[in-house]
Order: sequence, then structure tokens, then C-alpha cells
Amino acid sequence: MVTSPSDAEVIGRSLDEPEAFGLIYDRHATTVLRFLGRRVGAEVAEGLVGELFRIAFERRKTFDASRVSALPWLYGIGSNLLMKHRRGEARRLRASARMAAAGEAPVRRASAGALDARLLFPRVADAIEALPDGEREALLLFAWEDLSYQSVAEALELPIGTVRSRLNRARAHLRELLEPGGESRVRAR
Amino acid sequence: MKPVDLARKLRREAAFEPAALDRGKAVLMAAIRQEVEPTRGPTIVPQIPYEDVSAALSFLERAFGFREIPTARLVRADGGIDHAMLAFGAGVIGIGPEGHHGTISPKSGGIESQYISVYVDDVDAHYQRAVAAGARIANGLRDYAWGDRPYEAHRTYEALDLEGHRWRFHQLMREVPQSARRAGPGED
Repeated sequence: MVTSPSDAEVIGRSLDEPEAFGLIYDRHATTVLRFLGRRVGAEVAEGLVGELFRIAFERRKTFDASRVSALPWLYGIGSNLLMKHRRGEARRLRASARMAAAGEAPVRRASAGALDARLLFPRVADAIEALPDGEREALLLFAWEDLSYQSVAEALELPIGTVRSRLNRARAHLRELLEPGGESRVRAR
Repeated sequence: MKPVDLARKLRREAAFEPAALDRGKAVLMAAIRQEVEPTRGPTIVPQIPYEDVSAALSFLERAFGFREIPTARLVRADGGIDHAMLAFGAGVIGIGPEGHHGTISPKSGGIESQYISVYVDDVDAHYQRAVAAGARIANGLRDYAWGDRPYEAHRTYEALDLEGHRWRFHQLMREVPQSARRAGPGED
């Protein structure tokens, strides 16, 4: 049976045959582009995706060959690149909150006691923005990219226990929103 | 609703241009080439003169499958190409306007003073591609039990490009034992 080489094998080969790294792009660029797009929108993401893989190529010697997939490593490089685009990210998140609010408004109003979606989603956006960088990154990789704790740990180069505690803190911070007066707490932080 | 589910509600896909992935790959491949070229560049590079360099460039890409090395192009103030390099496998050629460095194109000189051998993986497919792109065939496909490399049989054809430079494309077919090897009866 012919099996295709793992990412680790391809990256290992690319140390001697740099062209082999093109296969890493072919395998993961779509996923990575979508990830960047969710965070900073299509235009910026399109400019970043080649840059991300160029950086990965130049750092390929540092890839941990015991990892089968290169994807968490690529996410980690992406997370670092996104740090320079915090303003664009915040803008996109606020716009997403407005769109989510508009889309959900009728449903949310129908359930008594629930916070009105028009108020809730902008608050969620503000709260995500107010999280410390490390918590926000862990939360978004987990919630938006559906990475496992292990993959988030590999992406952010942290012990898995640290990822768990960051996600728990992020959850706690967000949970405060649902309590009465949560908004003022977010704003005050 | 759980906090993580709330955060998920704000996940929104971006709409990309179809060419976005190609542009990203071009950035990566340029970085790869930059690393490869200084160490693996060939030690002999034929420089080929043309009357119309940009027509030659597009013909060589279209007909023969050569790829321009984009970072190597030199452009004149009037926008014309002063020099370009094309890669094919491990080989590289340069092209530029005739008259530079004492060179002349067969189109104006009326004579080919050399031909260039190019080794390809599938000479029949290459032939089809060249013919479809309008290459003139000087010698059609033929098999030879000897080669210009020791011990290898090959299959070749010869094509003339837009200005009459002669290109010989070879596919190495098999190894020929030294004992079975004989001198060729003088090829065309």
C-alpha cells in the first residue's frame, strides 16, 4: 500500500530538498487562509498567507519532528502574525457581533429572561477583545478553529495545563457577561 | 448559552478571491528559490540572443515549458526586457537582445551556430506541446541506441524556436551496456 508521507517526513525532506516544502502549502494553505480570514477578513488574510508559509519555510529546522501534523505549528505562526493586526481584528469582531445580533434578534426576544441579542453579541465581542492576549488566542483557536487542547498547546508552545487554565479563565471572564451588570464590568477592565 | 458557544456565534467566514491561494504559493516558492539558487545554480548558463526578447520569452514558456525566474528579470527604462532567465529542471538559460555581447540571432544572421540539448521526462508529450505552440520541427521523433551521454539510449526531436535557434529534446530511455555500445553513424 502506498501511504503519503506525514508532514514531519515532508518537512524533514525539505531540509535537503527545499522544494518539497511546497507540499506543506498544498496540504494546509486552504485551512490556514480561512483561519486568517475569520480573524482579519479576506483582504489582509490573502496578504498574510504567503508570508506565513515563507516564515514557516525559513523556520522549518525548528519544527518538532515528533509531531505528525504541521497544522498546529502553522496556526502558531499565524497567531504571531495576527498580533500586528489587532485593530483590524477588533473591527471585524464588532462587525460580526452586529451581524449576529441582526440575525438572531427575533429568536432571542422570544425567550423571556434571555438577554436581547442586540445587546448580548456586542458585549461578547467587547469581552473577547478585553481578554488578555494569551487567553483570547487560546479561546479563538479552540472555539473558532476547533483545535483540541493538545493542538492549542502545540500552536502556542505551552504546556497543556496552561492552555486548560487559560481557557477556564477565558470562560469565566465571558460568563460574567451573562450576569446582570456584566457590561459595566467588561468596560471597566 | 455556554461562553465558548457564545464566542462561536461570532465566528464568520471571509470570502476570498479565487487566486488568493496561488498568490500565497508564489510568495513561498520565491523564498524557496532564493534558498536553492545560490547553492544549486548550474555552472554553465547559455546566453541566447533574440530580436524580440519578450516574444521569445513567452514562446519558450509556452512551447517548451521553461519557467522564467521572475526575480532575475532586468527591464530597460522603456519597459523592454534587457535580460531574463528561464529554468527547466536543473538547467538555466539567459535570453537578451541580439547585439549585446557580440551575439546575433539566427533570424538576422541566417545561420545557427549551435544547438542546445535539453533533457525531458516525456519527450513525446513535450513534442506535442511544442508543435501545438507553433514550434517548427527540424527533425521528428527518433530513437537512438547510443547517446551523447555514455551508455544511454535516448529518444529525441529537434525544434526551431521563433527566431530559428535549434533545440534538441532528449528523453533518456535506458542504459546500454558498454559492450553493446557502438559509435553512431553520424547523426543529422
